[in-house]
Amino acid sequence: MVNTHDAFMNVRPMPLQPRTAKDPAARPVPASPAASAQAGNVVEIEDVCIDYSVGPGRRQKIRAVENVSISVRRGEKLVILGPSGCGKSTLLMALGGFLPISSGSIKVNGASVSKPSMERIMVFQDFQQLLPWFSVLENVKWGVRKRWPKLDPQEADRIARRQVELVGLSRQADQYPNTLSGGQKQRCAIARSFAAAPEILLMDEPFGALDAINRERMQQELNNIWSQQEVPTTIAFVTHDVNEAVFLGHRVMVMTSGPGRVRAVVDNPAVDRSSEDPDAANLAMHLRELLKEEA
Amino acid sequence: MRQSTMPALPADSWQGAYAFLRRFQKLFVICAIFLIWELVVRYGKVNPMLFPAFSDVVASLLHGLGIGGKPELWQYMWETLSVILQSFALSVVLAVILTSLALASSLAKDFLSVITGMFQPLPSIALLPMAILWFGFSRESLVFVVVMSMVWPIASALTVGFATISPTLVRLGRNYELNAIGTLTQIMLPAALPMLIAGLRVGWGFGWRTVVAAELVFGATGSSGGIGWYINNSRLFMNVADGFAGILLVIIIGLIMESIFLFIQQRTTYRWGTEAA
Repeated sequence: MVNTHDAFMNVRPMPLQPRTAKDPAARPVPASPAASAQAGNVVEIEDVCIDYSVGPGRRQKIRAVENVSISVRRGEKLVILGPSGCGKSTLLMALGGFLPISSGSIKVNGASVSKPSMERIMVFQDFQQLLPWFSVLENVKWGVRKRWPKLDPQEADRIARRQVELVGLSRQADQYPNTLSGGQKQRCAIARSFAAAPEILLMDEPFGALDAINRERMQQELNNIWSQQEVPTTIAFVTHDVNEAVFLGHRVMVMTSGPGRVRAVVDNPAVDRSSEDPDAANLAMHLRELLKEEA
Repeated sequence: MRQSTMPALPADSWQGAYAFLRRFQKLFVICAIFLIWELVVRYGKVNPMLFPAFSDVVASLLHGLGIGGKPELWQYMWETLSVILQSFALSVVLAVILTSLALASSLAKDFLSVITGMFQPLPSIALLPMAILWFGFSRESLVFVVVMSMVWPIASALTVGFATISPTLVRLGRNYELNAIGTLTQIMLPAALPMLIAGLRVGWGFGWRTVVAAELVFGATGSSGGIGWYINNSRLFMNVADGFAGILLVIIIGLIMESIFLFIQQRTTYRWGTEAA
């Protein structure tokens, strides 16, 4: 594994500035990743290997992820970047507790991950992650009620409405998911996830099925929503898009394929900046080189 | 060329008339069938003792329902409906339990697959002689036979419904830490509702046919009989119009049930977009 913390010239933690904030004063300024890091790591992944059983009798093992070690800092957005089939989604599923690991350990706040939990909410790429029989608001409220079953219904409603408003779906609050566009569905899923205030949010290429314009808009909105949370949510975000990784991630973990290993972990000084920003462009070029070397 | 004196209707009026015709098309078809029936019996060489006119059948039906006669049909109707509603509820519960067990265990899945394959093609009325031996000439015999006709199509549809649920929704349930009952009630059943409704509709159809057929063969259960018994009695007393009235009642109840299923679909799966309207 190449650690490019020092190798990359422009590494420095940057305080986050919401780019499209209409009233920045009204929003709490989130802690910078560096400050968050002082609060400790939320996730510790050590020497993790993940095998899939395939073939007749499922006797044959295929290694999807090999010896991956990474820590996720509290309140940071870590992007896992790699080509298709490199095991990045597999790693995220294991972190979510949906897949068992073959060896190594995954710990969240010191406790081993053994099954899915509301402390690690996942946003899937699939548009069908919303409950079709609930409206937008009801979907978000469902998540809140699951998270805090004894919560006062009015408070649950308030939390759900705030998140729906943050993702810009107030006008669609009473619509059923089948009447929403792909982008709106993903916004609703993101609102539901943030509303449950998980310890870590796992996002598996949530914008992968969107068109380019909507994708950029959603990236922007994710940064805005993240920055407007009262307590910054830790996010692990999987993508194969270099620009998306640079725009979203405080750190970018580059993975190689066959089997998936960590190629490099890169600090990102250009998070939330346009791709034309020199730092962002430099980092994107650097990440592309890393991916090309792998290819 | 002779000019028409008829004022030309505006395009909107033609479209309105067409929309009106389209809307009531089914009603026109039904009226046409009844009209042909009436005319054939009235003006054709048909013996009304064997095939009564539609108007006579309607008159018998109205008399039976208490309009100008003794309201005896309500009692027969309730007997049949109470048997089928009881059987329907039992069948739904059984089907949900069986398919839920099949989700949890591969042994239960194989058991359900084999038993559905065995009993679904079997006309459950064939079990009536055995049911009489086991339960006697009782209501339980009828319920047993009707449940055996309903439960398999419902279970079969529900199995398909469960199998086609998006894995993402199931993962969502796991992510929000739902237990087995929570997953079943909050994710699986609502997600499988389109197939469940299809199964209920087919199950109801099978059950409705079976209960009427069983009553025809079986006669009265306990102190009174159902619509099938009423139809059979009309043959014995040569009141063919009453028999047709009973058949018409069977059809009307079938259509009402169909409307109820459609109403449920419009309020649920059509609205949610999980089923094409």
